[in-house]
Amino acid sequence: MVIKSPQDFGAGILFILFGAIGLYVGSDLTFGSARNMGPGYFPMIICGLIALIGLIVTVKSLAIEGPAIERIRLRPIIFILLAIAAFGMLIAEIGAVISSVLLIMFAAYARRDVNPVETVVFAVTTAAFVVIIFVYALGQPMPVWWGR
Amino acid sequence: MEVFEHLATGFMAAGSLENLMFCLIGVVLGTLIGVLPGIGPIPALAILLPITFGLDPLSSLIMLAGIYYGAQYGGSTTSILVNMPGEASSVVTCIEGHQMARKGRAGAALAIAALGSFFAGTIGTVFIAAFGPPLASIAQQFNSPDYFALMLLGLVMAIVLAHGSVLKAVAMVLIGLLLGLVGTDINTGLTRYTFGLSGLWEGIDFLPLVLGLFGIVEIIRNLENPPPPREAISTRMRDMWPTKKEFREAYPAALRGTGLGSLLGILPGGGAVLASFASYTLEKKISKNPRKFGTGAVEGVAGPEAANNAAAQTSFIPLLTLGIPSNPIMAIMMGAMIIQGIQPGAAVMTTRPDLFWGMVASMWIGNLMLVVINLPMIGIWVKLLSVPYRLLYPAILLFCAIGVYSTSTEPFMMVLMIVFTVFGYVLFKLGCEPAPMVLGFILGPLMEENLRRSLVISRGDPMIFINRPISATLLAATLLMLCLIIFPQFRKTREEAFQEE
Repeated sequence: MVIKSPQDFGAGILFILFGAIGLYVGSDLTFGSARNMGPGYFPMIICGLIALIGLIVTVKSLAIEGPAIERIRLRPIIFILLAIAAFGMLIAEIGAVISSVLLIMFAAYARRDVNPVETVVFAVTTAAFVVIIFVYALGQPMPVWWGR
Repeated sequence: MEVFEHLATGFMAAGSLENLMFCLIGVVLGTLIGVLPGIGPIPALAILLPITFGLDPLSSLIMLAGIYYGAQYGGSTTSILVNMPGEASSVVTCIEGHQMARKGRAGAALAIAALGSFFAGTIGTVFIAAFGPPLASIAQQFNSPDYFALMLLGLVMAIVLAHGSVLKAVAMVLIGLLLGLVGTDINTGLTRYTFGLSGLWEGIDFLPLVLGLFGIVEIIRNLENPPPPREAISTRMRDMWPTKKEFREAYPAALRGTGLGSLLGILPGGGAVLASFASYTLEKKISKNPRKFGTGAVEGVAGPEAANNAAAQTSFIPLLTLGIPSNPIMAIMMGAMIIQGIQPGAAVMTTRPDLFWGMVASMWIGNLMLVVINLPMIGIWVKLLSVPYRLLYPAILLFCAIGVYSTSTEPFMMVLMIVFTVFGYVLFKLGCEPAPMVLGFILGPLMEENLRRSLVISRGDPMIFINRPISATLLAATLLMLCLIIFPQFRKTREEAFQEE
């Protein structure tokens, strides 16, 4: 078995997984009948279709040439996700200003060749700016500093 | 004339100092984000969505509509000056507009695009005012089977218009529908697909979903494959005015584009992208000298730009009268309306006339503002292109994070955003386009409910969809579209159309 279209093969497997999980998790929902649709009726049909398409896409990927999957670069995605996670976990504890600064610092390291001084200056100004817009101008309720 | 009475109501509502201000902020922010290469209207709307939440419904809708037009205008500017389409609907503007710019007619191309769009926007506004109410009364005849058929047609159209593989687009729509069903089933009160997480009881939150899929994935994509730095072609204010010859070529094309765009905008699945491609093809077909296309044909800028703006306006009609979004952008608008506590549909026009007409009027005001701020200030927008991406993306990311936090302080929302970022990243690597998924996500619960009701009425007999004239017609159209996808000739054209990006 040779995979001729890696992108499509991956997509097909993803769809099959999606459909299968959907069918499995939804299996305890009542299916009902057309006349009296249960909560499982529509989702089960959809999951079935997703899995079916996944199957077709997978089979096709074995027969027809297609694009390869581009190399995954870990650095950008990991730092971006870390930035969001740090912000989300910390904002309630240490307030919007410091968590914003942290988010920008983390995000900046998603690239190579970071200029630390520029990043710190930029992080502080942007954090101030964003907090002014959201908290003072738009009146969104969020802790600005810690200890609240 | 009732139309003018309605419009007067609208201008009264939209013309308040406060709303004018929000309209201005909307178009400026929209242009600002739209000018940035690679950020189209969908990420622009997603990123800016949170700042409209604190406003009252009318102001927030006015601002969102402004962001949408602004992003489109900004997209044309980048297309012409940098040859980088910010979004699918300005791809064709890129083809001819950038060629004009390289011949030293950048200013004229910008002016033609702006004036063409403004003209189309004006006609589009009148179009909505004139046809909105009659369409809303047609909408009253719509019953569950008809709604279901209409949504099916819309989804099939979204598949036709999606990039890349048709099968994958179908799967994306279906996954969207499934994600839309997560949460409490309204009929039985049972929770579905919540995996025991209380944060999912009310369904998957819209904002983390769109921000993750569009806002943040976009950043990661750009970091992985940095867009090559490109020189913007500079232009001066005094070069803006088109020559007589250019003007003569442009205005009939703009007229045709407006007509075509207004009609295509109303169709399910229609919208700016479809309209601009259709108008470009039309201009090329009827031109006496088709060979000049590709070398900076004025008609190829005026027509598609007018068409995409007209369609952008009129694609609000199905949303505002039927409560059904016709494309992924309208799905985001609908998501925003629901967050504001407005259920879009024919009822809006009668229960909140100020909201409906105010929004319509604000579209015209917004278009006028865009011409005024875009042409003289073009230099500033071009400068914006030189803001380095290394500063831009952390700020955008912060905006997304604060946006989510400000609507819900639940840490779970951040988790959701991270999940959808990862999901969007996987989809990107596997060559699946997420836009049709958003449409499915919004339509999922509506489709299920209308299917259920239809089948309750007919006692389980699926013939109900064929026996009702409205749904039968819509289903026939759906079938036709499906045939078109399978029909090889059309498939080739579709692939070619997307090749040009």
